[in-house]
Amino acid sequence: MTPEELQNLNPTKTVDARGTACPGPLLEAKKAIGTIGPGETMEVLSADEGTKVDIPKWCIKQGHEYLGTIDENGYYRIFLKKK
Amino acid sequence: MSLNPNTMENKKLCLALYTGSVDKLTAAGIILSGAAANDMQVDIYVLLQAARAFRKDIGDNPEKLNMAENQDLKKEFLESLKNLNVKTWVEFFKEAKTITNVKIHICGLAGKVWGGEKLDDFIDLADDICGIGAYIQSAEEADINLFI
Repeated sequence: MTPEELQNLNPTKTVDARGTACPGPLLEAKKAIGTIGPGETMEVLSADEGTKVDIPKWCIKQGHEYLGTIDENGYYRIFLKKK
Repeated sequence: MSLNPNTMENKKLCLALYTGSVDKLTAAGIILSGAAANDMQVDIYVLLQAARAFRKDIGDNPEKLNMAENQDLKKEFLESLKNLNVKTWVEFFKEAKTITNVKIHICGLAGKVWGGEKLDDFIDLADDICGIGAYIQSAEEADINLFI
């Protein structure tokens, strides 16, 4: 998705993992994905540089669709759609 | 989902956990978290020094655990983990057990070396006490094998 599309996306779930270092954000995403339904979207907020690599790779492995990342100057908003 | 193409079961990580040092136990906990996030089955075999760390009176009490290499760095290491809001190694192991199928096996000999004969002598993360044959069989079947 384009940055504009991501900005306008209203995700079903937002996971704020900014208070944790790796592997916190990935585990928070893993736990939260079970709370949304197939086709619904989720946003993970992380201040950890590694998360923006980890989550897209995790999406590929798990079959979820990685939608993109917005750099919010100090943290990242990482979007995905559950398979 | 990480599936083994031969068995179509979740992929398996077999971890031979030898270390009793707080930094390596933390690394093991972080790797375990990655395996949990990917729904892997995990078998952990607690060997020699690690069996000491699994004793009920030790666990994640940092006063009773050393660093793997440079002891002078222990204070800095533990303070950094705290500042970064990183879990203790026991907390990592506990959380992974709530997410995926993690089985923790204490090596019978290792337990005895440190005065632990029964499962009850170890922190409640441990599932059973076993022999080395079980480890070799698990290692043979695993998709990933690690020795830490």
